[in-house]
Amino acid sequence: MILLTAVAVAVLFGSGAYLMLQRDLIRLVVGMVLISNAANLFIMGAGLTKGVPPIYPLAADEAVSDPLVQAMTLTAIVIGFGVAALLVSLVYRVYTSHLSLDLDDLSAAEEREEAAKDRQPLPSSPPSREPVLVGSGAGAVGPGGEGT
Amino acid sequence: MLLLPLGILWFAAVGLALLDGRRRWVAWLATGTLAAGLAACVWLAVVVLREGPVETVAGDWPIGVGIALRADALGLCFAVLSLAVLLAALAFEAATRVRSRTFPALVLFMATGLTGLFLTGDAFNFYVFFELSMISAYVLTSYGERSRQLRAAMIFAVVNLLGSVLFLIAVAALYHVTGSLDLRVMAVRISVVESNPLVLSGTLLFVAFGVKLGIFPFHFWLPAVYTGTRPAVSAILSGGLANIGTYGLLRFGADLMPRELALAAPALVVIGGASVLYGALQAISRRDPDEVLAYSAIGQVGYVLIALGVGGPVGYAGAVLYAVVNSLNKTLLFLAASLRGRLVGSAFVVGALSVAGVPPAAGFLGKAGLFRLNWGVETVVGQVALAALVLVGGALSFIYMFQLFQRRFWEEGDVKVSSAIGARLLVGGLGLVVVVLGLWPEPLLAISERAAAVLAVGGQ
Repeated sequence: MILLTAVAVAVLFGSGAYLMLQRDLIRLVVGMVLISNAANLFIMGAGLTKGVPPIYPLAADEAVSDPLVQAMTLTAIVIGFGVAALLVSLVYRVYTSHLSLDLDDLSAAEEREEAAKDRQPLPSSPPSREPVLVGSGAGAVGPGGEGT
Repeated sequence: MLLLPLGILWFAAVGLALLDGRRRWVAWLATGTLAAGLAACVWLAVVVLREGPVETVAGDWPIGVGIALRADALGLCFAVLSLAVLLAALAFEAATRVRSRTFPALVLFMATGLTGLFLTGDAFNFYVFFELSMISAYVLTSYGERSRQLRAAMIFAVVNLLGSVLFLIAVAALYHVTGSLDLRVMAVRISVVESNPLVLSGTLLFVAFGVKLGIFPFHFWLPAVYTGTRPAVSAILSGGLANIGTYGLLRFGADLMPRELALAAPALVVIGGASVLYGALQAISRRDPDEVLAYSAIGQVGYVLIALGVGGPVGYAGAVLYAVVNSLNKTLLFLAASLRGRLVGSAFVVGALSVAGVPPAAGFLGKAGLFRLNWGVETVVGQVALAALVLVGGALSFIYMFQLFQRRFWEEGDVKVSSAIGARLLVGGLGLVVVVLGLWPEPLLAISERAAAVLAVGGQ
C-alpha cells in the first residue's frame, strides 16, 4: 500500500510537471491542480503507517490511525480549490487582454512592448508607461478563495 | 491579547472587501485600520520584550491539543516590519489614486496572513496563513490590470504556487517524522531524530523559501514580476512578502533544524555569494529603474543567506538586521522611483546610500553587521573572502544605485512634473526613518539581538 501510494504521488506530480512545461495556459493550470493534489495525497500518505481508520466511537484499547492528516488534507484541498479558481480567472483575464492562451504569443506581446518602450526617450516616461493592448474594462479579479 | 492584531486586520479586511476601494474614504479607512493593527502589534512587541514570549491556545483547548499562537521577539520583529511596509504602500496608493475596488481589502488580507504567519506556533497554520498572504499577493500582482501586470501575475502565481506545494510536502514529511505540528515540540523531537529524512525536508523548505526570497538559482521569476507590477505592489512584494522567506529560513532552519542548517552552511554561503555578485552585475547592466531595483533585490537577499550560513548568535542577528534594513530600503526605493520632485530625489539618495551601505543611512548598520560575521568564521581565508565579498558587493551596489539616480533625477525638465504631494511627503518620511535608524541604531541592534536570542535558545 505504501509503495502504491508513493507511485500514485509520483505519477500525479510527474504528469503535473509535464503539463506545466506545455505552452498552453490551460494545461499549465491543470498541471498545477495535479501537483497540488499530489501534495494532498502525500499528506494522506504521511499518516498511512499508523493503521486502522479513525472512526468514532472507538473500542476501548483499539489502535486508531491519525485523524489529523485528514483534517490537514481537507484544509489543503480547500486552499487548492480556491487557488485553482483564482488561476482560472487569471487565465481568463490574460485571454481577454491578449486574445491568446499560447505562451509564445504572450512573450511576443512582451517583446513588442519592450521595443515600444525602447523607442521612447527613456528617462522622461511618466508613471503611465504601459501601452494598453486590448480593453481592461471587465471588473477586478475578485478576492479569490481565501477559504478556510 | 495575541488575537487583537489578527482580529482587527481580519475583520477590517472582510468588511472592506464589500466596499469600493476606489473611493477615497474607503482607502483611508483601510489605512487607518492597518495602522491600528500595526499599533496592536507594536504594543504586543513591547509586552513581549518586557515579559518574554506570549502564548495563546486557540479555542481554550489544553496545551498540546489546540493550535498555538506564539509571539516571540523574532516573529514580532518581522510582523511589525511587514505591517509598516504594507502601511506605507497602502498610504502611498491612497494618497495618489487607488485603481481597483479590491486593492485596500487585499492589502489587509495580506497583512492578516503575514501577521498570522509570524505569530503562529504551528507548522500547518503557518502554511494556511502563508497561502492567505500568497493568494492576496497573486491578485495584487495583477493590480492595474494592464496586459503587463496580468503576465506578471501569471508568472508570479505559477512559480510561487509550486513553492507553496513544496512547502506543504515538507511540512507533511516533518509531521510524519516528528508526529507533531507544534513548532516547539517539533524542535525538541527533531534534535533526537537521525538527520537523513530531515535533510530531504530541509532541502524542500530551503527551495520553497528560496523561491519566495528570489535568491540566485530561484530568481528567474523576480525581474519579470517586479518590473511588471505597479510601484506600490513591487514595494509590498519586495518589502513585505519577501520577509516570509527570511523568517521561514530563520524559523525552520535555525530554530527547528539547527544541525541540518549547519550541515548546509557552506552551500548557503556559496549560493548567497553567487546571488550577491549575480544581482549586482545584472543590475549594473540594466537601464530600466524597476529592473535595476529587481536585480538589486536579488543581490541584497544574498547577504541574508550568507549571514544565515555563518550562523551562531552573531550570524542570526546579522540576518535579522539586514532583512529589516533591506526591506525598508526596497520599500523606499520602489516608491521613490515612480515619483518626481526634489524631496523624492533626496529620499531616493538616502535609499541608494543605504543600499550601498554608506554611513548616515541605515544600510550601514546592515553592512557593519555583516563585517561582524567575521567573528563567526574560523579560517583566515574565509574571513578575507567574506570581507572582500561584502566590500565588492557594496561597491557594485553603489555604482548601480548612482547610475540609477543620475538617470532618474538629474534629467533636465523633469522637475516641473510634480507628483501628488501626499505621496511625496510619505516617501520623504520613509527616507527620514531610514536616516534616523542609521543615526540612532541602538533600538534596531537591540531588537535584532533579542530576536536572534530566541533562535539560540530554541536551537539547544
